[in-house]
Amino acid sequence: MSASQNVAAAPPTRSKLQKLIWNFHNNPKRELWIAWYTIIVFYNIFGIVFFGITRTQPPPPASLTPREIVEWFADNRMGLLVGFGVIFFMGPIVTASTALIAYSMRRMSVSPAFAHTYLILYSLAAVPGMLLTCIVLVVGAMRPDRDPQLMATLYDMGFLAFSGTMGIFLIGSVIWAVAILLDKNNILPKWFGYFNVCNALTEVVVATCCIYKEGPFAWDGEIAFYINLVVFGIYTGCFITYLKAMIEKEDPQVDYLPNKV
Amino acid sequence: MSNNRNSSINGELLLLWSLPVVVFIWFVSYLAFPGFAEPMSPQMTPQEVSAYYFDSKNLPQIRYSMIVFNWFAVGLVPFLALIAMQMKRMEHQTPIFRYCFFGCIAGGPTLFTVADLFWLIAAFRPDRDPAIVQMLNDLAWITFTCQVGYLVSQNIFLAVAIYLDRQAKPVFPSWVGHFNLLTAAAMIPAAFAPLFKTGPMAWDGALSFGLKNLSIGLWIVVMLIVVGRAVYKNRANHCSAPKSDNGVAA
Repeated sequence: MSASQNVAAAPPTRSKLQKLIWNFHNNPKRELWIAWYTIIVFYNIFGIVFFGITRTQPPPPASLTPREIVEWFADNRMGLLVGFGVIFFMGPIVTASTALIAYSMRRMSVSPAFAHTYLILYSLAAVPGMLLTCIVLVVGAMRPDRDPQLMATLYDMGFLAFSGTMGIFLIGSVIWAVAILLDKNNILPKWFGYFNVCNALTEVVVATCCIYKEGPFAWDGEIAFYINLVVFGIYTGCFITYLKAMIEKEDPQVDYLPNKV
Repeated sequence: MSNNRNSSINGELLLLWSLPVVVFIWFVSYLAFPGFAEPMSPQMTPQEVSAYYFDSKNLPQIRYSMIVFNWFAVGLVPFLALIAMQMKRMEHQTPIFRYCFFGCIAGGPTLFTVADLFWLIAAFRPDRDPAIVQMLNDLAWITFTCQVGYLVSQNIFLAVAIYLDRQAKPVFPSWVGHFNLLTAAAMIPAAFAPLFKTGPMAWDGALSFGLKNLSIGLWIVVMLIVVGRAVYKNRANHCSAPKSDNGVAA
């Protein structure tokens, strides 16, 4: 096993690049670290694209008239086409996050069915929950002279697909919550299990976005958007930190989960 | 021999050789769909798009080719699952890259099916407002052209898995990793096709249409050869060594 190779050598301290190359060749946890850093890369790009380049987060009002929607598309045209182009070619690397979370459940004392459920649920979550949004908003942005009624349809499809894809994240969070709470190997802290339930509840709260066009319950409202944003932000920060702690704590000689299982 | 799962009929070779059949069917449908034989231009007006769909020669070809594509697009998945099985034989500490790969393999064919449905919906009602037909046609072409992310990601995860397979006789040689990264890079320009209506980057252009589809085709042919070799080699090894770890995919 490669774990034995690295006991002798220590990482060079001269430059960051050398360290990186050394770790790629010798770090016994390199597979987990590659997955973890991929998550960091994804969430940074996700944040820059959705909040910065395309300005689709926080979402524009659900109450815009078709004429205002045409203007919104015109104002954000280049951002939508360039930003979502980035998501189109690299958005699915988010599966590294799904894989590492599924791995955390495989390390727990619960049935492997929990990890498998999570892996299957989240593998296609990005299709309705992210890529469909990007596709329809790009189709809106590519022809600014399209009939305003059709532009409004694309706009609604985009933002409702984004906020309205609820079940995957609801059931997925509950699965992870139950696994953490039942686990006897102490892979992740118990309070984070309860926090998963909290994240699941935001998916219940957001359902009002399918009905209301104005006020706190609309997709841009204080309840349906801002509460969710805060909870999801803290949740994402927590799981990235805890997955890092899980990898650091893992003893590759004893704990590792072989590829053969 | 009787207690050896690999040398008995376990269906593995059937899954492997289903791919050339599926690819042949794709190739025939590809030629049959008039929108691929000579890619539709993103510059067409709503009236031109509508006239194109409901032309008496084009309409049946659009429908029949897309129905066949709908049946067989996901025919790629068994082959991808076979690759995941080869990843299981790699000398890794964790199953993490196999999980990443599993997470990607349904995405590409699913999104192709979505594009396929948009083409079928666009062709459904001749009396529909041409502006709506054009929107459905845009949705189809953008989904088909730009959704390269799952393919790019699965190639990258596979490449890294190959590089980290540290055993004397690795499952795949490292050039297969380089090849996967190269084909992933060749698909990236297609993600930016909506920025252009003409030229090589447009959805009917040499990069977004030609290079992208060529790399997918080349990837399938090359991977069929290397995966086929790995499968046969593994089966031959297990004929002499009765113990097998080639169990159920996790």
